[in-house]
Amino acid sequence: MDSQPAFPSTGRVSATGASARKKNRFWSDILRQKYLYLMSLPFVIWLFIFNYVPIWGWTMAFQNYKPAKSFSEQKWVGFDQFKTLFHDDQFYRVLRNTLAMSGLSLVAGFIFPILFAVLLNEVKSMPFKRITQTISYLPHFVSWVVVAGIVTSMLSLDGVVNHLLTWLHISDEPIQFMAKPHWFWGIVTGSDIWKETGWNAIIYLAAITGIDKELYEAARVDGAGRFRQIWNITLPGIRSTIMVLFIMSIGHLLSIGYEKQMLLGNNLVSDYSQVLDLYALNYGIKIAHFSYGTAISMFNSVVSVILLFAANGLFKKFAKESIM
Amino acid sequence: MKWNSTKSLSSLSLLTLSGALLLSGCGQNNNGDSASNSGSSASASPSGSGSASASSDAGAQMDTTPITFSFFGADASPNWNNMQDDVGKAITAKTGVTINAEYDVASGGGQSKIALMAASGQYPDIIFAKGELGKLVDAGAIIDLTDLIDKYAPHIKAMMKDNMNRLKYSNDDQSIYAIPTNGGVNNQYFDATGGFEVQLRVLKELGYPQIKTVQDYENVLKEYVAKHPTTDGQPTIPLLLNGDGWKRMITITNPGFIATGAPDDGEYYVDPTTYKAELHYKRPEEKDYFKWLNHMYNEGLLDKDTFVEKDDQYQAKIASGRVLGLISQEWEYGNAENSLKSAGKNDETYGHFPVTLNDQYQDHELQSVGVDFSGISITTACKDPVRAIQFLDWLASDEGQVLVNWGVEGKQYNIVNGQRVIPADVQNAKVNDNSNFAKTTGVGLYTTFAPHYGDGVKDSTGNYYTTNFPDQIVASYSDAEKEALKGYNATTWKDLFPSEKDLPVKEWGALYNMQVPTDGDYAVIYQKTQEIVDKSIPKVILAKPEDFDKTYDQFISDLNKAGAEKMEATYTDLVKSRVKLFTGKDVQ
Repeated sequence: MDSQPAFPSTGRVSATGASARKKNRFWSDILRQKYLYLMSLPFVIWLFIFNYVPIWGWTMAFQNYKPAKSFSEQKWVGFDQFKTLFHDDQFYRVLRNTLAMSGLSLVAGFIFPILFAVLLNEVKSMPFKRITQTISYLPHFVSWVVVAGIVTSMLSLDGVVNHLLTWLHISDEPIQFMAKPHWFWGIVTGSDIWKETGWNAIIYLAAITGIDKELYEAARVDGAGRFRQIWNITLPGIRSTIMVLFIMSIGHLLSIGYEKQMLLGNNLVSDYSQVLDLYALNYGIKIAHFSYGTAISMFNSVVSVILLFAANGLFKKFAKESIM
Repeated sequence: MKWNSTKSLSSLSLLTLSGALLLSGCGQNNNGDSASNSGSSASASPSGSGSASASSDAGAQMDTTPITFSFFGADASPNWNNMQDDVGKAITAKTGVTINAEYDVASGGGQSKIALMAASGQYPDIIFAKGELGKLVDAGAIIDLTDLIDKYAPHIKAMMKDNMNRLKYSNDDQSIYAIPTNGGVNNQYFDATGGFEVQLRVLKELGYPQIKTVQDYENVLKEYVAKHPTTDGQPTIPLLLNGDGWKRMITITNPGFIATGAPDDGEYYVDPTTYKAELHYKRPEEKDYFKWLNHMYNEGLLDKDTFVEKDDQYQAKIASGRVLGLISQEWEYGNAENSLKSAGKNDETYGHFPVTLNDQYQDHELQSVGVDFSGISITTACKDPVRAIQFLDWLASDEGQVLVNWGVEGKQYNIVNGQRVIPADVQNAKVNDNSNFAKTTGVGLYTTFAPHYGDGVKDSTGNYYTTNFPDQIVASYSDAEKEALKGYNATTWKDLFPSEKDLPVKEWGALYNMQVPTDGDYAVIYQKTQEIVDKSIPKVILAKPEDFDKTYDQFISDLNKAGAEKMEATYTDLVKSRVKLFTGKDVQ
């Protein structure tokens, strides 16, 4: 929104003018920059319609909302929906699962793509590099439905993984992976790594290309080996990219969707597979308790904003990096 | 800096300005909408009253100008062909109506989709809402059909004459919100499609053994799998159940009451004298049933993947022909069985047996519930409810029913000596290539749209309305099926089941069709208990035999902890008021 002046001359207006002149200047500014304003207007409207108008719906969280009634006829219940929410054991279980799975994928989602990007960058053969990169990001375009099918059949009793394990004599009996509640978080994180590593590495590869080549030459002259170069040049070079992405994904910690969990999960592992969004769907929309669903998503949004600002503040203070 | 602050101030003011404009724009839009809505409903009623006088002389003189109704069906209809099939074209030609249909996918049941409709207020014109009707009624989305049926639907009225009370929504709200279409009026069963299933090749090889109790069933599966550990090179699966989503009810938990002689009341069991409802899992005899399933699992007879696989993997296993036994309903695994038929593997399809826990119990699956099925409703979004009800009524006429059930004369059936006869090639396509047959002919795709008579009812020409009558049913059996039935001295699977004549009609209908309150605690507790069932039943069945009792008791106490007793009390009241409504009895 903070558009730079289009014409350098507008910046030189003196601050001494009377209020009338000031007002005049305001309108003349607009007039002069009318194309800039016109160009940004659609986005302002878009943002407003899709991101601000729906917030009005939060009022539902404080009502006992009934679809057929108009706004003035709704019954207001204060914080009752939130009280029910915070008294439900299941809420804490799904919150735990959500945080655990998103935490795991947050950590894995940084370590693996960065590692992959750095290693790929060290490869000198261009064709190999290109092919590897293309192949590695293809899984990103495969839908979770298909991925879940592949994962369940690979991990099934007569699946590839079990064949391999028995062949290598690591286990005597086939293991039913999908029936083990404690392994569910790991399976989800693993599938996530397989699917997204290549895709997430693209941005780091791009950032690495932006590093000045002379730095490497200088380092080589000083006798730095490959690992030294990675540690002292490549990683610091993409540090700000990492920070920005990290802060942003902390904002998304609670909203991880529920497709993976729903598609990979089953009744045996539901204690570990149900996440906040699925809970909101089951207890909000499915049984037509819209107010309760709204309360859940409101909680979700508020916590996300707090997390985002906290992460941003901490990084600003200690790492001198921030996005706001 | 100074410049900058004026700058951001001006952009801010622009933002609020555009916002205000936008808000007022929205407001106007809303006004416009509501105005046009009230306009349309106002214009609908005069035209309604206008044609009311016209319709008194005949229902036949209905308006047949082309009209399109949008429709949503809560059950998947994978063969739907946008009315480009023979029956669909004939319906459009006769009534001028085109249905623009959308169906829920896979095993959706319409739950999320209909909840969203209720929240957004955007309804199709006509809806088959199944168990979700209550949400729409509470949202004020469904119109009361009482007067419309009275004025414009002579056929529906004639068909429902004794059952009008059963169409009413509840004792407190006696409006008619849905016309039952998910079953046939005065239906007689000529065939049994539930019970426990055994592959025909198993029956043949073992010389048609008696299969009456779970012990018999177990022995049969055990004996065969010992002889044939593999089928087509893959391991033979003795027993397969479907643990995915709500289908666990059909194949795992409902058989709990089926095998112990109780009727189907959804998740509940109702005491026939006191009308007290409780979750059916609490019956001690069902604990024994689940103990048997637990035993089947520990014996290695129940497939180990039962609770981890999804519906499509389950169907694929059946379609591979290596599953010896199922505990299900034919519609649940029908697509897989059809692909076995298409592949010519008729000996790997299934026969049905009324298996019970022991010989004290009697299978109640054929017990009649009377007219009480989910049905079709017209919403407030429908611009021309009169045309809609006339359309439904036309489908309920003799002409409409014959078209929907039999197809087009000269194509799907012929009249020979006053009898409707299905030619052999058509019958062949219908049995062996059902999904293609349904797609091109449309036979079987339109039954959810209109109330219809059930099997065994004859029209004025002395022919049956439906194609399910004893001769036709036998004709639809494959040779392998006929051979197996001969082995049991029976002509249809029904002959093996206790007849509905020996079982009284249920006073409270089918409780799985009863709509429950959407506000208050009931829905929340129900959802919680369902989740407990979802996760406890696998635990119970997969437990070590010595842990079974402990696990089952834990399951029941979890249910009670979640408030099951309170929920059962609410439900008992609903059942009592339903019996009052249906029978006029004074129930305390």
